[in-house]
Amino acid sequence: MSENAVIEIRNLTKIYRDFWGRPKVRAVNSLSLDVKPGEVFGLLGPNGSGKTTTIKMLLGLLFPSEGDIRILGKPATDVAKNEHIGYLPEESYLYRFLNAEETLDFYGRLFDMTSAERKQRTDELIKMVGLDKARRRQLKEYSKGMTRRIGLAQALINNPKLVLLDEPTSGLDPIGTREMKDLIIKLKEEGKTVVMCSHLLADVQDVCDRIAILYNGELKQLGMVDELLASQDKTQIVSSSLSDEAVDEIKAVIAKHNGTVQEVTNPTTSLEELFLQTVAESQARPGQRFVAESEKAANTTTVD
Amino acid sequence: MNLNFDKQPIDILQALANWGLIFGVLVCIGLAIALIMSVANNKKKGVSRFFENLGEGLRDLFGMSLKRLGAIANLTLKEAIRRKALLVFVVFAVLFMFGGWFLSDTNNRAELQLSVYVSFVLTAIGWLIFPVALILACWGIPEDIRLRSLHTVVTKPVKRSEIVLGRILGFIGVGTIVVGIMSVLGYVWILRQVPEEVQSRLVARVPVYGSLNFRDREGEDSEAGVNTGDINPYRSYIEGASKARAKWTFDGVSPGVLQTDPETGEAALLVENSFQAFRTHKGVIDEVLHGQYTLVNPETDLRVQLPQFPIYEFRQNLAWIPRELIYYNEETKETETKDLFDDMVSDGKLIVEARCVDVGQFLGMARPDLFLRLPDRPFASSFFKSVFGIWLMMVLIVVLGVTASTFVKGPVATILLFTLILVGTGFNQFMDDILSGEVRGAGLVESGIRILNHGNPIVEKPESLEESAAVQGVDQAFTGMLWGVSHIIPNFNMFSFKAYTASGFDVPMKVAVLPALLMVIGFFIPCLMLGYFSLKLRELEAK
Repeated sequence: MSENAVIEIRNLTKIYRDFWGRPKVRAVNSLSLDVKPGEVFGLLGPNGSGKTTTIKMLLGLLFPSEGDIRILGKPATDVAKNEHIGYLPEESYLYRFLNAEETLDFYGRLFDMTSAERKQRTDELIKMVGLDKARRRQLKEYSKGMTRRIGLAQALINNPKLVLLDEPTSGLDPIGTREMKDLIIKLKEEGKTVVMCSHLLADVQDVCDRIAILYNGELKQLGMVDELLASQDKTQIVSSSLSDEAVDEIKAVIAKHNGTVQEVTNPTTSLEELFLQTVAESQARPGQRFVAESEKAANTTTVD
Repeated sequence: MNLNFDKQPIDILQALANWGLIFGVLVCIGLAIALIMSVANNKKKGVSRFFENLGEGLRDLFGMSLKRLGAIANLTLKEAIRRKALLVFVVFAVLFMFGGWFLSDTNNRAELQLSVYVSFVLTAIGWLIFPVALILACWGIPEDIRLRSLHTVVTKPVKRSEIVLGRILGFIGVGTIVVGIMSVLGYVWILRQVPEEVQSRLVARVPVYGSLNFRDREGEDSEAGVNTGDINPYRSYIEGASKARAKWTFDGVSPGVLQTDPETGEAALLVENSFQAFRTHKGVIDEVLHGQYTLVNPETDLRVQLPQFPIYEFRQNLAWIPRELIYYNEETKETETKDLFDDMVSDGKLIVEARCVDVGQFLGMARPDLFLRLPDRPFASSFFKSVFGIWLMMVLIVVLGVTASTFVKGPVATILLFTLILVGTGFNQFMDDILSGEVRGAGLVESGIRILNHGNPIVEKPESLEESAAVQGVDQAFTGMLWGVSHIIPNFNMFSFKAYTASGFDVPMKVAVLPALLMVIGFFIPCLMLGYFSLKLRELEAK
């Protein structure tokens, strides 16, 4: 096993059995991988590919049928490892009768934090996840997005070295998604290791350094995101807007070097960018609204 | 009012030995099963994994964090309160608002009224708290697992032992709040409801019991008196105007047991009896039977006969025995004076003999029917000890419920515990009676053969059965199992002290409180271990 890996998984297999002990499903099959310190690692795969099962075995919620796991140098079943781990489950399975402050205070106490530490950390995290105005409301009154936020806050209460995020952006609106992604990047900048599993590929692509792709419980791809996505037989040049003549000249140069121009287009922004820009503009100018062409025509007729 | 049962003080060493035997056997069986399963699941690494887990388990059980325990207990408390568990007070309030209407008695026995009120309050508290404790304890952890809230707890540095113990402490906290408030309200309610003429009886009598022997009508020692045909052999009867005597031997009699006689104002020994009469003829109408005490020095055999006294059945018959005893010595035919302690007590021992004076009548008596009475304690002493008994039972229900909930789901745990309470309340004595031979019957196989042969338990055992080593062996094994089961299933009747309080007695520590407390501790230790290993060795996310 590599010496400085945060997570080391070797030949990990999980077989779900029926009541009589007969094998029912092989959820994870001979999985081996390492997660290095300070990286954002993504576990990808379609539903039922074994992502969540792997995360749960890492946390000791499930026991491997075969293979070994070491997290921060300790076995997965050793609760001492949890001192330095933060976990955001797929759904935020928190105590719905507690409010945000009580929730964070409770989880802080589980880390043996002092009262002053808990108070300070609770304040910081509630502000960080934007729940300052709802800090005294019971979680059962929270929207799904708010619940994800408080779930994230509880995962960070102990300032963990390793953060495990199970579908971190699920249920979040685009703003929340962006904030979550920004936060993951911030955690990486702080030197923390982040492992996330998701099937929202765009999110993974945006934040992950390395990814593993699982299918039917088996590892199909493992590597740096950039390397995996790079097309070695193509070259992309991005420039400010050019005239048609300039484009023709460039095509000629490419042809001279035996290259083929496959496409010349104006790049589009992502839908996420458009959405965020629209929301930002709306916040800056609250009264402005979009007027459809048909509505404009109707208004003109009325004036006439 | 007097007691109709006779409980002996607990033999702590014997109880510890029994507990150690059962606990040891169960631990050995558990470890053997765990080792086999570990080897089956982990092949070559099975043995080392088993010992790793065992070591880790012992560390987890003995290295719990108070802060985490407090956090989980506090969470449990908040959960119960916010999920409206305290609505039980509404039922309690309704009961007590209107209870008085239905409990007021029209007969002229005001002291019985006191007993009814005390029984009602203690029964109501018990019946309200036990279902609440049962449901909370059985559903807490399974709901946490179902809703997966437990995932966010076990992924923190929390030991499974802390989850089990924290939950137990939290539910005990809820129960303590409920029992505490109900008992204070109930106590005030009793004080307000009890008729004024019997307010003075609202005390806790402190009896000192002796050991009881009999002498038959010929004056010979015997183990019991006469059975007058009562199916319940609790009381033995002595014949009137004969040499038949009931003989109580008291230990530890010292001047400390004296009280001030309200009539003479002098220190005197208060002896109380609650003998029952069995009449072979109607006697003198409207006249009660009479009895007579004789004090006997167990060493010198000096006998001092005291004056006769009337016996009012079902009431407290008090006799004040002064320190200076003036009596007529039938041998010397002179009136003599003796000192109660200097002349009648040897090494703290004093014998009190009782006889029935009336010809052809019988007096029935059991060991608790005559006792030396120490200065009374306040009623609150007895009442709150009874409440403590209810509290202990609530604690045991919580401990058993939380333990069951670590390996089965909420509904199953509830049914399991309910069955346990049912058997532990109604059938424990039956099992003991079978084991002691008091209930006529036979072993499992022998009973089966008798049923097939249409032979009832009275029929002599067939010789073939008597000689069959296999049948005897199997029956003995089943009897051993029954012994184990009768000791594993808690006797929930042990927690009910209300008979003492309702009868105006203090609840005795060695006879009632200590056994109940030891029982809870005896169950708590293995339950905590079982709950911990069950939660540790199970997958919380199993599909």
